Amino acid sequence: MNLVKIVTKNMRQRALATWLTGASVMLGVALVVAILLIKQGVQQRFEQGTLGYEMVVGAKGSPLQLVLNTVYNLDISPGNISWKLFEQLRDDKRVKLAVPFSVGDNYKGFRIVGTTDAFFKDFEFEPGRKPELAAGRVFNFSEGALRSAFREAEERAREREARERGEEVKPAPVPEHVEHPFEAVVGSRVAQETGLTVGQKFIAAHGVQPSAEAKEHTENPWTVVGVLQPTHTAVDRAIYINLDSFYHIEGHELRAPGAQAKEEKPAAEEEKDTDPDPGQVSSIVLKLRSPITAFGLYREINDREDAQAAFPAAEIRKLFDIVGNIDRLLLAQAVLILVVAGVAIAVSIYNSMSERRREIAILRALGARRGTIFSIVLLEAVTICLFGAVAGLAVGHLAVALANGALYRASGFVIPAFHIQPLEWYVLGVAVILGAVSGLGPAVGAYRTDVAKNLAPTS
Amino acid sequence: MSDIDNKTILELRNLRKSYPSAEGAPLEVIRLRQFELGAGEQTALVGQSGSGKSTLLNLIAGILLPDEGEILVNGTDLTELSEVARDRFRAANIGYVFQSFNLLQGFTALENVLLGQMFGSGNGGADRAVELLNKVGLGHRLHHKPRALSVGEQQRVAIARALVNAPPLVLADEPTGSLDSKNGAAVLELLQRICADGKHTLLLVTHDPQVMGSFKKVVRLEELQ
Repeated sequence: MNLVKIVTKNMRQRALATWLTGASVMLGVALVVAILLIKQGVQQRFEQGTLGYEMVVGAKGSPLQLVLNTVYNLDISPGNISWKLFEQLRDDKRVKLAVPFSVGDNYKGFRIVGTTDAFFKDFEFEPGRKPELAAGRVFNFSEGALRSAFREAEERAREREARERGEEVKPAPVPEHVEHPFEAVVGSRVAQETGLTVGQKFIAAHGVQPSAEAKEHTENPWTVVGVLQPTHTAVDRAIYINLDSFYHIEGHELRAPGAQAKEEKPAAEEEKDTDPDPGQVSSIVLKLRSPITAFGLYREINDREDAQAAFPAAEIRKLFDIVGNIDRLLLAQAVLILVVAGVAIAVSIYNSMSERRREIAILRALGARRGTIFSIVLLEAVTICLFGAVAGLAVGHLAVALANGALYRASGFVIPAFHIQPLEWYVLGVAVILGAVSGLGPAVGAYRTDVAKNLAPTS
Repeated sequence: MSDIDNKTILELRNLRKSYPSAEGAPLEVIRLRQFELGAGEQTALVGQSGSGKSTLLNLIAGILLPDEGEILVNGTDLTELSEVARDRFRAANIGYVFQSFNLLQGFTALENVLLGQMFGSGNGGADRAVELLNKVGLGHRLHHKPRALSVGEQQRVAIARALVNAPPLVLADEPTGSLDSKNGAAVLELLQRICADGKHTLLLVTHDPQVMGSFKKVVRLEELQ
């Protein structure tokens, strides 16, 4: 017989109260753990997601919007920038690699991203990791076909403007014929969710978000030529098409560089002047030869009127600085639940004190010291808190593991649910302190129990 | 007379104990000049209801402290000891049997006896507890909780618990008070026999004439004043 056995017996004797108070501690700790795991996991994944994207260039507007759109396939594009700028940056000595992206369509909610074959051949979305094929091949791409597509897109824009002005529109001369293969490489998540496999065709809908009213490009079905391996990044949730086929599509007219996307600002002013090289893209991802020159290039681009540059890592840090306040609020709520659980333990033990006083008096009559009685009650509160906290840690991790499915569907990445963070040991420590504090009052009451009075026969 | 018989196990001198009353003036419940018990002696202490018999037992057990006087158990003056020392002394030297058994309901018969051992000497371990439970006829009910035992069996567990540390002094406060006459007689016979076998000094408080009749020495509390 020892103190631990006495405490265990006491807890079993009041099993319902023990379970209920332990469960309230468990709930609080599970919430704390889940919040910590999700916050840290999301931040880590977001920050990791920026590793391959050293600098992003896009239309003037919110740099965070540009980063979210280009790196994470979230939000909408702030507008377009000229192909000429892409060429300038690609040829800049400070730039190691420039990859263009154009967005505007979706398939069943998955974003369709126009790009070049450089995305597969040279681009590392994380250091040392390139998009790899699980099946099929990469789409065909040629810059000649891209220029032809730009000219077609520009001609369609002029025809539409003329129609809007009520002018008679002469059919434009068909540009020199270039093959525009409508080929697509789909991310692993897209393949999994939509069932698309190599050789299948699909019809894209206009707009980056799914909408019942969105126009479907039925005249240009895409053929899946490749499926990517899972990367656990936003790449998994995108469909990559060659940039030239993107601009061959009706509705993908060229806009004034820097103007908002059509679906956002239909009245946006469009480019009217003839441009010998009219191409546009939504954004450009740059890999730089040296970080030393990065800030100079960043400043040069931001000094322009038609473009901005952003460092994705810096933007994401800023975002999490803002979101951090919400995290703290959620954590405060979880801690409040823990405090309420502590109060519940104290109340539960207090409520059982009339019954316990007799038991305490018996133990004292058997020779137990006041300090021993104090320890028994305190140990009981601490044990309930500790067990609740351990169960809470397990439940918190399990909840995150269960939520990972939804998280992956929404964001394309998962949180390492069973990775124990150092902070969790502190949570256990806090639970022990909480137990000690909540047990302190009842323990003092037990300490002061009048032995003679409580030994007297009850009937 | 043997050496054991010569040794004084309990000695009370000029004991006074009063409680605060609702009226303000302290209410004196114990006023006792001199009382002694020799080793192995079995004595019934009788007195009217409310005469302070239970208070006297609590004083002897060191649970309460007198306002005045000395309480010597096995040569140790309890009034000179700190509370912690009194607790330790009580666990090792005094066995206590209550009218309402005072068993812990969440513990089995064996565990209740082991509890007595935990705070006492701890000598003998579980074997001693089992031996005592066998001695009181409960060897087959070691792992039953009090609710599964009859009242007579519960009191027998309480007797085993009181004796587990082989205390020189056993106090019994109306031990048959909650039992029917048949069970009461059996429990009393058991208590007296075990105390005699173990040479434990027994001081039993009662107001039951039948119980008094089974003791050679009967002391009236009023006579001690």
